[in-house]
Amino acid sequence: MGCRTSQLGRVAPAPIRAPKVADPSPRPATTSPAVLSIGRALPGNYADQETLTAALRAHWARQHFNADRLEELHRAVRVKGRHLALPLAEYPELGTFKRSNDAWIRVAEELGAEAITRALDAAGLAPADVDQLVFVTVTGLATPSIDAKLVNRLGLRRDVKRMPVFGLGCVAGAAGLARLSDLLTGFPGDVGVLLSVELCSLTLQREDLSVANAVASGIFGDGAAAVVLAGGSRAVKGPPGPRIVATRSAFYPDTEWVMGWDFRDTGFQVVLSAEVPRITRENIGKDVDGFLAAHGLRRSDVRHWIAHTGGPKVLEAFQSALALPDGALDRSWRSLEEVGNLSSASVLFVLGDLVASGEPSPGDLGLLVAMGPGFCAEMVLLRW
Amino acid sequence: MSGREAEVAAEIRRIVREDLHARTEFGDSEELASRLDSLALLSLVVAVEDRFRIVLTEEDAAAARSLADLARIVAARAPAEVPP
Repeated sequence: MGCRTSQLGRVAPAPIRAPKVADPSPRPATTSPAVLSIGRALPGNYADQETLTAALRAHWARQHFNADRLEELHRAVRVKGRHLALPLAEYPELGTFKRSNDAWIRVAEELGAEAITRALDAAGLAPADVDQLVFVTVTGLATPSIDAKLVNRLGLRRDVKRMPVFGLGCVAGAAGLARLSDLLTGFPGDVGVLLSVELCSLTLQREDLSVANAVASGIFGDGAAAVVLAGGSRAVKGPPGPRIVATRSAFYPDTEWVMGWDFRDTGFQVVLSAEVPRITRENIGKDVDGFLAAHGLRRSDVRHWIAHTGGPKVLEAFQSALALPDGALDRSWRSLEEVGNLSSASVLFVLGDLVASGEPSPGDLGLLVAMGPGFCAEMVLLRW
Repeated sequence: MSGREAEVAAEIRRIVREDLHARTEFGDSEELASRLDSLALLSLVVAVEDRFRIVLTEEDAAAARSLADLARIVAARAPAEVPP
C-alpha cells in the first residue's frame, strides 16, 4: 500500500544540551523514559469531506428524511478530509464483520509496520533493539494480535515483550504512552515501542441511521502512529525528545454510557453521547490542576498542550475548561481538519507534529491529554 | 401545551436520551442551547426530522428556543399519521 506519510526525526538538537558533533557521547542516565521518535503513517487512499459525504448521502438518502442535514452535520465537525484503509469504492462490498475485520487485519499490519519502521529509523534503532512492544487499537480484532504479526514481519527479537490492548478507544494513545512509560520505569535499560493503529472507516455501520453514526461518519479517519521510548538508564545517542516525567489516570464513575461500541452481527456500532463535551468541560480542569499540583506546577507552567482531537466541541471544551490562550491547541485543530479524529492515534499525531516542529526548548513542559471510553482521561507530563 | 404537543415533547426527550445518549433533563421552557452545544442541537434536528418525517427550516430553528417551542413546531408540521 502506498502511503502519504509524514516521518519525524527526533527533536532538533538544542544548543545547550546537545553537542554539535557527528556522534555525540551517550547522554547521562536519568530516571525518566524519553521519547526518541514518533513515526506516523496514513493510508494512501484519501478523500475530501465533500466526496465522503456524497458517498454516504447516496446510501443514506433512501433512509434519512433530510439528507441535506447530514451534509450540514459533516461540515460542522470541521474535518476537511480523511485517509481511508480501502479505496472508497470498496466499502459497499464489506457488509459483514468478517469482511471488515479481514480488511482491518491486512491493512493494520501494513500500516503498523510502516509506522514502526519510520519511528525506529528516526531513532537510529533496529527492530532487534526493541524490548517492549505495546499495541493499542479499538477498531479491529486479531489473534494472534497485530504486534505478533509485526514480530515476524519486522524481525523483532524472539524475547520481545508484547502487550496488545483493545478497548481503551480514543484515550489509548495517551494511556499507551503512560503505561509503556510505567513499564520502562521498571525496566529502565529497555527500549519500548507504542503502536497505535486505528482504521475507523472499517467500523462504519452503513445501515445504522443513528445520530451518533452520522456524526462518527463525518469525523473519524484512519491512521497509525508509533512512539519509540528509551528507559531512563538506556544510553542514547544525541538529544532525546521529551522525557515522560509523570502520568495520571482519571476515571469518571458511572459514565459507561458516554462512549463505546454496541457489538452487532455486522461489527462495531458506535455509541457516542452528545454530552462528551460537557463531561470534558466539567472534569478536565480539576483533573489537570490536581495532576500538575502534585508536581508543584500550575497550568501557566505548561508551554505545550497536546490534546486529543476528539472533535470541535471537545477541543472547545479543553480550551475553555483549561482557560488556554488562543492558539494553544492549533496543532490539534489542524490535525482534526487534515485527517479527522484518528481515535487513539490522534494525540500521537499531534505530539509528532510538535516534536517535528523543533519549537520546544530545553526545560519546556508539555501536557498530553486524551479522553475516551470509561469515561476517563489520561494525562502525560513531558519535559524537554 | 396541547395533548399532542406534550406527546411530541415526550418523544423529543426520548430522542435526546436514547439517540443522543444524553442524560440531561430539560424543563419545557428551558433553553435547549443551555444544555446542548451547537453540534448536539444539529444532531437533535437530524433525529427529529427523521423521526417525524419533516424538514425544519432555519426559521423553525430560530423559533425553537425551548423544548416546548420545538414540540409546538413539530406537532404543527408532522403529519397526523406519524405518531409521536
